[in-house]
Amino acid sequence: MAMFIDLYTEADTFLHRMDPRVKVVSILLLSLLAFLVTNLYSLLVLLAFIFLLLFLSRATLSRTLFALKFVVRFMLLIVILWPLFDPTGTPVLATLGPVKITEPAIWRGVTSAVRVGCLATVWYILMFTTSQRDLVRALVKMGVRFDFGLALAISLRFLPTFGALIENIKDAQRARGLELGKGGLLKRSKNYVAVLVPTIVSALRTADTLALALQSRAYGARADRTYLRDLTMRAADYASLGVVIAIFALPMIARFVFDIGI
Amino acid sequence: MSEVTEPVVRPAPAKFVSPRTVALYGVLTALTAAITYASYTPFSPTRGYFNLGESMVFFSALTFGWSAGAICGGIGSAAADILLGSGIYAPITLMAKGAEGFVAGIIGKRDTSKPVLIAVAIGTGGACMITGYFLYELFILDVGLGKALAEVPINVGQVVIGGTIGALLSYYVKRSYPKVAGA
Repeated sequence: MAMFIDLYTEADTFLHRMDPRVKVVSILLLSLLAFLVTNLYSLLVLLAFIFLLLFLSRATLSRTLFALKFVVRFMLLIVILWPLFDPTGTPVLATLGPVKITEPAIWRGVTSAVRVGCLATVWYILMFTTSQRDLVRALVKMGVRFDFGLALAISLRFLPTFGALIENIKDAQRARGLELGKGGLLKRSKNYVAVLVPTIVSALRTADTLALALQSRAYGARADRTYLRDLTMRAADYASLGVVIAIFALPMIARFVFDIGI
Repeated sequence: MSEVTEPVVRPAPAKFVSPRTVALYGVLTALTAAITYASYTPFSPTRGYFNLGESMVFFSALTFGWSAGAICGGIGSAAADILLGSGIYAPITLMAKGAEGFVAGIIGKRDTSKPVLIAVAIGTGGACMITGYFLYELFILDVGLGKALAEVPINVGQVVIGGTIGALLSYYVKRSYPKVAGA
């Protein structure tokens, strides 16, 4: 089993230095844009732009491949399955019993696949360039309640710990003769209970200790919290925000004001 | 002691969720993600992978109630999706698994001694999840009917196995760590 992957890669690019709030907003706007754009070529331009940003984020090759492995498989599946279930349009290219393959259906499948490609890869820009701490900080700054932010931070902090714990308990139970890799899906899952129960109990003990630690550090003592590190928008952040809003707004104006198909 | 004692004006304590709850929810969320990740078994040539994350959603809902089920199930599973490289499902996972935990918690937490009630809770919660994924794939991602339908049987199997394991976990953990029963 591979170790837990924190997708964040340490680097010093403009994307890393950007305020995480700007990045969150940009990702949301670009995703929305992918939904609103209908033309295949415009979608391809958007996909190219996303890949450019991904390239600029200087993620290692292995991480980029990890990100793309699932996406490419998913896109291929759409391209293959779409024409089989969509018999509308002409010309008809092939008929096989009730299944009709038409040319427009193939193009619709490709368009949908590219859109899914955009939606699936755009998130990695954020994940590759923002540390988990910054992400939580940005969410709290954007209005998520502080206590929820803290719970999220705790869960991100304990993810690798529990991952290691599960592996340890697996080894311990294997040493007692438990077979995890054998049998059908149902049997395998049932055997997993012997791993999960000790894991959960141990994790719940951790939660108890954690609650004491929080209390002893005066968690929630006063409402007007102060922060050691605060997020501040710099000029470059405002500029990037402006660029992203323009990228989103211009096609929208073209579509809804001047009625140009995009 | 001859210090001048000034009256200390304390601001009213903030209305945050109790530290116990914050710690518990944080840990349950991490557990959901970690177990989904650790039990991840790719098994079909298409997309499919099987995992036991479902069982943690049901465990949280049946043991700690609807809010734990909704929050920990939703966020934990979505985080696992991102870690496993299928981040495109993260938004719907957040909602579908959240709804699953919510519904299963509301129905199942009332009386955990009745197996029928628990089965109904798991079934209803699972149905919410399956419908959510189906609608998301069909209408939001627009992947076509074929791809969306292909997912349904996988998800049904996931709910059946996850639900069974989740109910078992809830029973065993309450027995071996009685402290949680009071939570």
